[in-house]
Amino acid sequence: MSLRDQDQSPGQMAAGRRFAAAGMAVAAGLLALAPAAHAEDQVPTVPAPAASGDASVQPANDPLEGLNRASFKLNMGLDHVVLSPVTHGYLAVTPKVIRNRVSSAVYNLGEPNTVMNHVLQGKPKRAMRSTARFVVNSTVGVLGLFDVAAKMHLPPRGADFGQTFGVWGAGPGAYLYVPAMGPLNVRDGVGRALDIATDPVSMFVGGFSTDFGKARTGVTIIDLRAQTDPAFHALKDAADPYVTTRSAYSQYREAFIREATGEAQELPDFDTPPAAPTPAKAAARKP
Amino acid sequence: MTSPGKTMKNTPFTRRGANAALLTFFGAAALAVTSPALAAAQARDPGAEAFVQTKAQRVVTILANKGMSDAQKKQVFHQAVDELADVPRVTNFVLGKYARTITPDQKARFATVFRTYAENVYQSRIDDYRGEQLKVTGSVVRKPGDVIVNTVISGGQITQPLPVSWRVLGGGQNWKVVDVQFKGIWLAITQQQDFVSTIDNAGGNIDVLINQLQKNGSGSSGRR
Repeated sequence: MSLRDQDQSPGQMAAGRRFAAAGMAVAAGLLALAPAAHAEDQVPTVPAPAASGDASVQPANDPLEGLNRASFKLNMGLDHVVLSPVTHGYLAVTPKVIRNRVSSAVYNLGEPNTVMNHVLQGKPKRAMRSTARFVVNSTVGVLGLFDVAAKMHLPPRGADFGQTFGVWGAGPGAYLYVPAMGPLNVRDGVGRALDIATDPVSMFVGGFSTDFGKARTGVTIIDLRAQTDPAFHALKDAADPYVTTRSAYSQYREAFIREATGEAQELPDFDTPPAAPTPAKAAARKP
Repeated sequence: MTSPGKTMKNTPFTRRGANAALLTFFGAAALAVTSPALAAAQARDPGAEAFVQTKAQRVVTILANKGMSDAQKKQVFHQAVDELADVPRVTNFVLGKYARTITPDQKARFATVFRTYAENVYQSRIDDYRGEQLKVTGSVVRKPGDVIVNTVISGGQITQPLPVSWRVLGGGQNWKVVDVQFKGIWLAITQQQDFVSTIDNAGGNIDVLINQLQKNGSGSSGRR
């Protein structure tokens, strides 16, 4: 198994890269089409000027808010009648040990895609560590059920195309809430499409048309829903769950990208309520 | 005469050299990108770190205590919260631009409702993970008196150490937490966006938010 993996991996990588390169061109085109108004977001390697100097968080970039809110409502409704009951059944009948095995296996199948993105981000060390994780966990870890590599000081370190675009300097673009997919933005939506289109495991083991692919997709969805269950609970406390989701998702993704770039986060000042000190800015912010 | 052979032999070395040069280049580029963050990371604040280590650990310990009922925990957390967090400052922050327009009467009502609400929310979020040990891993001074303290929570029901960051303001012996970050998400920042949007959508009527929180706050405590 391990020999076969090693024999295959260079071929996989090359093919993956070729696909990625093609996808990249498409993605680059799409990103270029993203509203020019956000051009300033696309150069985050230059430290941004100290936020706004007051205690207001940057306003959200959500031009499709009406449509997004409708999708959000639809999704929450679907979740309530389908996904949530299935997930709570799953949470009820399986002990945590088993669920952790499932999460590990799901994560392991994503590892080749992670390696590809580490390479694209110019991080050879991380790429090698993730490759070693995939080889060790697929063999010694019994098809990824056990994260043996983490105990060998090779902790998981995720990466995806959305993060790669962020590392390359792409801003998030407009926020999107997609039915059946959930929160996204332009950058991460293109990234998600590429993650699916260029996934080495789908290409070499089986895509969505195969039984393997269908089972993998189903298990991935339930696993993700189970892992984010606390977040769904947290939403019940929110005054505006739509905005809370948007805020949390945007912060989560920016943090994920900072993890790869090593940049420090820009935070709003805590004690100066906005408006009065900079009346011009506040007026501009009000729609 | 020997040169063709030499060239042949040299080719791999040249290629290796080029590879090394490339690696160096990428390495240098990576360093250049990360160096501002590194410089910032060097400025630590031991006072702020010690504060978080003691007070945040206390809260984590209370919530992990299996010998206490939920009602007891709520009671103890209610008392511990003022030692840990600067509630009035957070109350002001989450109102965003409306902190300037709120009337004293509304402010008083909002402060009461928000306190109950925040206690529930913060307790739920910390409790979701049920860790036992908190360990400070470092801190970043944004500016004097405004520090991010990084910690990991482990033990208990946590399978992988969970990074949690605390934003603390103050100095000397007087530090207070104003925000907490899990998985990249700051609670108070998220609340500010949530609340400001709610008031915006109510045409600027802050009472709508106050009523909403009152409803959610009681719903939340009923759930626990």
